[in-house]
Amino acid sequence: MPASQTGTFRRVGYTGWSAFRFKDPTFPVWIGAAILLVFLMLLPLGAIFRASLWDDTGLTLNRYFEVFTNEQFLKAIWNTLIISTWVGVLAVMTGALLAFLVTRTDLPWKKPIRALVMASFVTPPFLGAFAWTLLAGPNAGALNKLYRAVTGSEEALFNIFTMPGLIFVMALYSFPFVFSMIANVCELISSDLEDAAEILGANKWRTAWTVTLPLAMPALIGGFILAFLQSLSLFGAPAILGLPAGLHTITTQIWALFQYPPRLDLAAAFSVPLLLATMALIAVQKKILGRKGYSTVGGKGGQKRLIHLGLGRVPVLLFVFGILSLSVFLPYWILLKAALSKAWAMPLTWDNFTLHNFSFAFFEYGDTQRAIYNTFKLGIVTATLGTLLATLIAYVTHRNLFRGARYLTFFALAPLVIPGIVLAVGLFIVYTRPPLVLYGTIWILFVAFLTKEMPIGFSQAESTFKSIHPELEDASRIIGANRLISLKDITAPLARSGLIAAWSFIFIGVIRELSAAILLFAPSSKVVSVVIFDLKEEGQVGVIAVLGTLMLAVSFLVILGVQWFAGRDVVATRE
Amino acid sequence: MANVSIRGLTKKFAEVAAVDDFHLEIGDGEFVSLLGPSGCGKTTTLRLLAGFLQPDGGEIRAAGEVISSPVHLVPPERRQMSMIFQSYAVWPHMTVAQNVAYGLKFKKLTKQEIEKKVTKLLGVVHLAELKDRYSAELSGGQQQRVALARALVVEPQILLMDEPLSNLDANLREEMRFEIRRLHEEFKITTVYVTHDQAEAMATSDRIAVLDRGRLVQVGRPNEIFDRPATRFVAEFVGKANILTGRFGGDGLLQLGDGVKIRVAGGSECAPSERVTVCLRPHNISLVSGDAEARRLAEQNYNLFPGVIRRSIYFGDSVDYTMQLPSSGVLRVIAPPTQRYEPGQQIIAAAHPDACVIVRDE
Repeated sequence: MPASQTGTFRRVGYTGWSAFRFKDPTFPVWIGAAILLVFLMLLPLGAIFRASLWDDTGLTLNRYFEVFTNEQFLKAIWNTLIISTWVGVLAVMTGALLAFLVTRTDLPWKKPIRALVMASFVTPPFLGAFAWTLLAGPNAGALNKLYRAVTGSEEALFNIFTMPGLIFVMALYSFPFVFSMIANVCELISSDLEDAAEILGANKWRTAWTVTLPLAMPALIGGFILAFLQSLSLFGAPAILGLPAGLHTITTQIWALFQYPPRLDLAAAFSVPLLLATMALIAVQKKILGRKGYSTVGGKGGQKRLIHLGLGRVPVLLFVFGILSLSVFLPYWILLKAALSKAWAMPLTWDNFTLHNFSFAFFEYGDTQRAIYNTFKLGIVTATLGTLLATLIAYVTHRNLFRGARYLTFFALAPLVIPGIVLAVGLFIVYTRPPLVLYGTIWILFVAFLTKEMPIGFSQAESTFKSIHPELEDASRIIGANRLISLKDITAPLARSGLIAAWSFIFIGVIRELSAAILLFAPSSKVVSVVIFDLKEEGQVGVIAVLGTLMLAVSFLVILGVQWFAGRDVVATRE
Repeated sequence: MANVSIRGLTKKFAEVAAVDDFHLEIGDGEFVSLLGPSGCGKTTTLRLLAGFLQPDGGEIRAAGEVISSPVHLVPPERRQMSMIFQSYAVWPHMTVAQNVAYGLKFKKLTKQEIEKKVTKLLGVVHLAELKDRYSAELSGGQQQRVALARALVVEPQILLMDEPLSNLDANLREEMRFEIRRLHEEFKITTVYVTHDQAEAMATSDRIAVLDRGRLVQVGRPNEIFDRPATRFVAEFVGKANILTGRFGGDGLLQLGDGVKIRVAGGSECAPSERVTVCLRPHNISLVSGDAEARRLAEQNYNLFPGVIRRSIYFGDSVDYTMQLPSSGVLRVIAPPTQRYEPGQQIIAAAHPDACVIVRDE
């Protein structure tokens, strides 16, 4: 080798492809993962733009023209904007208030409150929406029946199948996002800043209003955008609560375009504005939250003194549990009741008690067994391969293994700006035609879930890697382990709890996913969420309740497992 | 074993050269320290040697073979090197014995052979008792011994150490210096040792290479570096130094600012009226108060500096005096505690011409 070296040595500064060969024998693995990721993200998006812009004759804007002149479509866009704005406002108000109470006051029972917020977080919105149809449906809804029994009135107190009803339910399942964001900020604002205001004579509440609130402002706006985006891309809740009232949102409209006769091209054209709006909002959010020294005041948090609620403790606590009963207690109670009773609307007496719903759901009803099997198979496969891919990508970006590696972050996080239903439109277009026909199998769902859950897995893996000193890995490389072996023997075991958390987040994300699955399933590849949605049409309340309970139970078990394993709060690491 | 040859090594980060045209030949079995302040490029040089970084220019050869160049890079795992890190980098999920045994996994050895080698090395670093402990249960010094055993057990051709003692407390640091030197005498592995602590470099090294802003300034045995610093930077970085400047008169004497003339080592080779900088170590100056003694020293060609003691600090084993010269200059003198002088006292400082070393002032 030394003899031939003089030849190459003259080309100092030249780094061609050949240089990689010597650089790293594990190189194909890293570049392979990177290419896979880029394809995973670019294919569906490319397909959407292509389908919306091309027809048999070539480039055309006709589809866009058709979408934006159709009154029905415009109405759906308008509805979506109104709903999302209200959801954003309500979610920020509740989320921020709860976060402030939990982090900065001497409110009792903080741990159970956090756990219950976590429970709202884990509850799939479509399941919550379904539970609320049982609670506040105009005729048989439990709360309305109670109201009629108490007042003797003939009227219903609430009708959940309205726009306010829809907004209410969506806000219930969006506020946890805001909560975790604001709680983080409140914990970072050090009391020193607030002390400064108090020394100047402001009382506690005035301090909270003039110092704490402005400091938390970027997080509040960020939280609003997050909740807004969340409701922009939701499909299940608007479909369950809005459609019976003839209320369409963008997502339900896209879904309707997939029904017979399918208009893929219009669905694609209709997806583009949703996609662009999401991108723009994420960009704004980044900009607001990215101004350092403003939102993360104090850095370490410092010593915090808590505001004393005094006599207000009891009413405040009642208020907090009131909100949590709307998102957790009441829905869970009605689901459990429906699962265990012969007639869900009747009181749960011994006569009304049955386990038939369980046996029917698990052993008799045609679709459920297969759907449960599919769901868990997809959950496990996606979580495992997703964690693996996310780990490899996070490793590449963290170690900056080759030029341009840091741009992979962009691709890994891209699905954040792609609503599930839009992703599904793109994947449907790509995988219903050669070279790779995945439609009709569960693998198209696998690709959808893998894409959709990549941001969570990636950010989890990346933040875990950041906490591991690179010298630990250098130490193994220098005594003979190549990059892959070092990752396997040293870095991954050290990152174990973070990677297990990533696995669990992906798993939970997959088993509750509806908005992409609803467009991509085929009869043999149904998953639980889709079955629940179908059963809704058939009015099989008992079976839905059983499946919903199962889904929640598994999610909580997985989270408890992770917490037990990692010995730390998973919610805290998610942001 | 292997010699290392570094030729024209250059590494840039964002167009700024962290290592700039670095040349160094390291002999087989030699212990060389890279000494310099933080940011001088010593750690970058070490990471280039390890293969964690690829140079932008120049090359590194080990035993004659190119292992690093801008177009060629043998990955770290195939360099037959070992490295000790500032953070120890003892893997927390493995026991002491597993840590030490890890590197042997990549050599074709039987289980018994691995166990034998691990046991032997743990004995060498006095850790045999602790082999089943995890790093969280070890002190800093013990962790560093694990790191040493882990690095040595693979019988590397070259051993790299990156400020291995900087996280230890002062007493332990001193003990580990001798330990590292002892292990070097025992195994005779070619070693490159990065440090910013001159005492560490002196205690451990055969030769010291002083770096400043990415460039090699001087390389030599510890006493050469200390007694004959090549530049003002080396003089001030390695040990304490009085820096005097002056101009040569026709008589071969150096004329300092205030009319004081001194003889300097190698002064005869300097051209008249050349401006030079001289390093004079505080340890190499003695203080006399009596005229008779001063005359006796003057006869032996000693340079004499009359002045007034301005400040004295007592350190137990020495006294650190600051002396005001008639000009605005001051002279620092470190004298044995047997003679004591008080601030305000008139005094004469005497230094042998050989202790007055001309240095380049860059």
